[in-house]
Amino acid sequence: METQRKFIVPIGPQHPALKEPGHFQFTVDGEIVTDASVRLGYVHRGIEKGAENRNWTQNLYLFERICGICSHVHATALAIGVERLAGVQAPPRAQAIRILMAELERIHSHLLWLGVAAHEGGFDTLFMYSWRDREIVMDLLESLSGNRVNYSVNLIGGVKFDVEDKHRDAILRGLDTLEERTRHYLNVVTTDRTFLARTRGVGTMSRNQAELFGTVGPTARASGVARDVRVDAPYEAYTLFPVNLVTDEGGDLMARFVVRTKELFESYRLIREILDHLPSGELTVRVPRKIPAGETVSRVEAPRGELFYFIKSNGGEKPERIKVRTPSLCNWASVMQVAVGHKLADMPMILSGIDPCFSCNDRMVLINRGSSSQVWSWDELRRYGIEYYKKL
Amino acid sequence: MEFSPDTPWQKVLDAVRRWARINSPWAIHYNSGSCNGCDIEILATLTPRYDLERFGVKLQGSPRHADILICTGPVTRQSRERLLRIYEQMPDPKFVVAVGSCGLSGGAFRGCYNIVGDISEVVPVDVFIPGCPPRPEAIIFGMVKLLESLKKGKAEVATVSEGAHA
Amino acid sequence: MDSEELIQTAMELLVPWALKVNRPEGNRLDVFVEPHHLKEAVKALVETQWGYFSALTGLDQPPAEDGATEGHIEALYHFCRGPVVLSIRTSVPYSNPVIESICDVIPSATLYERELMEMFGVVMPGTPSTDRLLLADDWPEGVYPLRKSFTGLGEQKLEETDGNAA
Repeated sequence: METQRKFIVPIGPQHPALKEPGHFQFTVDGEIVTDASVRLGYVHRGIEKGAENRNWTQNLYLFERICGICSHVHATALAIGVERLAGVQAPPRAQAIRILMAELERIHSHLLWLGVAAHEGGFDTLFMYSWRDREIVMDLLESLSGNRVNYSVNLIGGVKFDVEDKHRDAILRGLDTLEERTRHYLNVVTTDRTFLARTRGVGTMSRNQAELFGTVGPTARASGVARDVRVDAPYEAYTLFPVNLVTDEGGDLMARFVVRTKELFESYRLIREILDHLPSGELTVRVPRKIPAGETVSRVEAPRGELFYFIKSNGGEKPERIKVRTPSLCNWASVMQVAVGHKLADMPMILSGIDPCFSCNDRMVLINRGSSSQVWSWDELRRYGIEYYKKL
Repeated sequence: MEFSPDTPWQKVLDAVRRWARINSPWAIHYNSGSCNGCDIEILATLTPRYDLERFGVKLQGSPRHADILICTGPVTRQSRERLLRIYEQMPDPKFVVAVGSCGLSGGAFRGCYNIVGDISEVVPVDVFIPGCPPRPEAIIFGMVKLLESLKKGKAEVATVSEGAHA
Repeated sequence: MDSEELIQTAMELLVPWALKVNRPEGNRLDVFVEPHHLKEAVKALVETQWGYFSALTGLDQPPAEDGATEGHIEALYHFCRGPVVLSIRTSVPYSNPVIESICDVIPSATLYERELMEMFGVVMPGTPSTDRLLLADDWPEGVYPLRKSFTGLGEQKLEETDGNAA
């Protein structure tokens, strides 16, 4: 009873994007996690197969709905790939509008994550504040596209709407407020004592680990890996508007908070620059209904990291095969390796640290190796983590 | 002390219970296969800008504490059983709110191999809120409709079509 | 290093196993290898730290209608470094769909491999876990949804959308 107390703790399953929803099992020895495994598929819808039964235009809308948080980058990745197969390029103004939306989306996504991650750490004040400020960027996205989520900006061969002067002024005003708020958040995540107790030195991933596991996005950059598709292989208007890479050597949760917050400043700078130098001209080019046969790889930088599309056309109206690798899948793989050796109470923070859009409220079961079992929800695990740290 | 359904005591108790239920409905949120779009809008509805909590709605972690199941997305093969289990664990009387186009009809994912169907094919739905995703205002409108219909007794099936405008 | 140099170093690394080398696009390099050479080729990349393992794509090449050729599954191991995407491609027949796992070289490859096993029915000896990853628990054994021959389970057929609707 005393010595051989090992538990398997399943968490999940609920997480709402293409392949990201996970059901985890943590084997714990006392308080320390000794093994971690993952089961996905609760939200597996069969999109890659569904794509083969839809034409290219219909697929643009289907793939936008892989993930509601980073919908725009999915549609952009598909549109860029298909345009490349068709041998056309979106006009310069359309390219600039695409990356303008991508940066606005990054702001909304990072603020969303900041709130959710703070919530998992029991810091609900920060959650409410960051979501309140996020409404500023949601209003901007809505005024541009007419929708708060799933903006449907892209067409194959261009974009649907233009950015006018009134939009420009509204965006600049919004950014000023957001910049001021972000400075405050950066201050909070680097100085708040209770918060640092949950983040500093927790979930540390060394640079070598991050390289080997193929970690992408802010999670990799927080471990000092300079990896960003916008810099490594600039696409669309990123060739005109270069991005400054934000990295941190820490590798722990705190570094992930700092990197994401600093990336917000970079996005503000980039949007201002795009608005100042928006190329003029057409918004669309003609693209044939039938896309010439061929294969291409399309990579874009989503808020969570590199998004990878492999697109194969057989020369018809419908794709032969579209393979999507979302950034969270890469990061799942790495977090499972990092989780080992940490306290169970740290798991909510470590999992949310890679930004898997964890809106989990589901149940988990705590199973004794013997007979008795106890049912826990994600919420209870979160509270357990908060209580655990209160005692220290 | 025993209560038969018609005693004045029982009527008073019923009224008190209904009053309490309408003033503080607790909700659980389940994603049965959605793209996340509706889920972030539900969360946005709870945060300061829209603040659904002014109607007493509180998001709960456990189905055993919940009166309302807010469900998003089409139902996938793997989550079907989960959804049923959550529904069965909720105490009576319970109500289901289906949020988003794919929860209503399968939406963009209709015809994909891992989709079982829409939410109403698995559990009885009281309120349908269309939109891809619905605006927070529409979600609030749907919840208010549900609460209003509770005053009359069990909710009739309602579809929120107006209210999507800001 | 610019992309031309990166491609050259990758080619030199992989020459011992390459059956064929192809440059489909300026920043892409396809190297075709035999299935039993795959692991060594991957190892060579990892040891010299050429890029990182980014994705694993499966492609189905169904058998010819008259049965003249056998169906094949092609696996593409994508590695990225800077602007360059290197794909190591290997093809296995339906009758013997075996590719050795690369998990002891790249531990995080397990998720990608499990996906390939489920979706295409490739057998990957050496992979640490063969549990279901994406498909439902009640999904029938031996049905691989991303093969071209899959058109839906039992009664339920995949819906064909006609190309004119848009």
